[in-house]
Amino acid sequence: MKLEKPDLCAPGAGHGTHGPRLVLKAGLCAACGQVHFPKTEFGCPRCGAAPDRVALHALDGAARLLAFATIHTRLSPLITPPCVVGEAEVAPGIVEEVMLVGDEMLYADGMALRAVGIPVARGDRQLMAIRFEPAEDAA
Amino acid sequence: MTVLKDLRPVYVVGVGMHRYQFASDTNYIHMGLTALRAALADAGLEFPQIESAFVGCTGIGMAAGRIMFNHIGSTGLAVTQCENASASGSSAFQLACLEVAAGRREVSLALGVDKYGDQVRAINKEGVGRLSDTAAIPLVRYALLAEYLKKEKGLQPEDLAMVAAKNHTNGSKNPFAQFQKARSVQDILAAKPVMGDFTSPMCTPRGEGAAAAIVCSAAALKDLGLTGEPIRVLSSTLQSERPQVGREMGSVAVARAVAEKTYEEAGITAQDLDIVELHDAFAIEELLYVETFGLCPTGEGHFWIRSGAAEINGEVAVNPSGGLLAQGHPLGPTGIGQVHEIVHQLRGTAGPRQHRGATTGMAHMIGLGSISIAHVLRKET
Repeated sequence: MKLEKPDLCAPGAGHGTHGPRLVLKAGLCAACGQVHFPKTEFGCPRCGAAPDRVALHALDGAARLLAFATIHTRLSPLITPPCVVGEAEVAPGIVEEVMLVGDEMLYADGMALRAVGIPVARGDRQLMAIRFEPAEDAA
Repeated sequence: MTVLKDLRPVYVVGVGMHRYQFASDTNYIHMGLTALRAALADAGLEFPQIESAFVGCTGIGMAAGRIMFNHIGSTGLAVTQCENASASGSSAFQLACLEVAAGRREVSLALGVDKYGDQVRAINKEGVGRLSDTAAIPLVRYALLAEYLKKEKGLQPEDLAMVAAKNHTNGSKNPFAQFQKARSVQDILAAKPVMGDFTSPMCTPRGEGAAAAIVCSAAALKDLGLTGEPIRVLSSTLQSERPQVGREMGSVAVARAVAEKTYEEAGITAQDLDIVELHDAFAIEELLYVETFGLCPTGEGHFWIRSGAAEINGEVAVNPSGGLLAQGHPLGPTGIGQVHEIVHQLRGTAGPRQHRGATTGMAHMIGLGSISIAHVLRKET
């Protein structure tokens, strides 16, 4: 199954509870030495260095959950409420909004998470979307 | 850097609005000209006396202002359309003020008019993916921040509801507000859930409408025999967000920076403010910004709101118009609608929403991206 967002992630090693583990595609800037996520075609968003100074830097998909809440209303055609969205630190100092597997009873602030691939329907296609699940063995 | 106070004094002399409303088949030209004619009547001016116009608009399309002005007389005035997301009207107002302050014109118009457009956003053309399918939805970020603050400082759903109830009750006394129904804390809590503790009336509606503000120089005040009571614009400041540090959202950090800068430029402190119209797209924002703007000590925003300090005739009337939550947020007009409210408050013509003894007010908006913009206005005695 194809990844829904191949520019953000790649298959990792092993399997989580809900799907195969994913790694995240960050950028490492040779000019400033900082990591940013995601890596883009435009260069380093921290220092402005040109794209050729930025190397692909894989994050292992481990994250720490900072806050989360359930969405009750269809805020986007891409989501089916109720669903749980959170903020997670995917690398030191890099906080990203993430979509969580299952309902909010599974989660607690500070919990370790991991990125996994979950099948989603996009039109008449099935794609593998990035979701995060509890990972007692991570971080 | 040259700031407004270093240049010629600028005065708001006329304001007008078309009521904010849900998307309808009302022609935008009708809404825009309604606001414009009201502002002209307020100032005691004729349209040919307007030398330039800045039109805040996000959803109508190219040249909305120029097409509209065809219907009130092609006077040859300079017209510039201004898009800065939710802060489009605020930016149009800033540009009109700078135009007069710099001596380029004597009389300039800031007009915001908008329809609920096709919602095309540059972020959707950025070509950069995000982990969450909701990453471009501001409501989600603010709801997550509210969840964090609930645990961090004991914020309760009732605190969010208290802000919304205050602003909806203020809006119930405002003939230009999209929502004109007083709501209690219980009404707000019992409304349709949206995300986390957010219910529908804790979130701004989208819609359409228009607002206009005419600004002029001291020379124009004298020479044109204007009838509208002038309100001085002391400062106007805009900055964009820097990368987030720690848990403070970039939009909150930039709001603090802009408030500090606009106070400094105006030569005031937060304690001088009687009226604040601030960007309450979500109720949590008002709780944050009353702290950010120094209206109350850091960490005590919810206690300050609970005390009634932010109510009309409290310490500082915060969003006496009803704010974005109740007056509405049609984007292009929103920032100019704030100026409309402040001008009436400072003139003492705000009717049932009048805050006693108001002399100084601040308007603040956030524009997607984010940028933050604020202006300080004062009644000169």
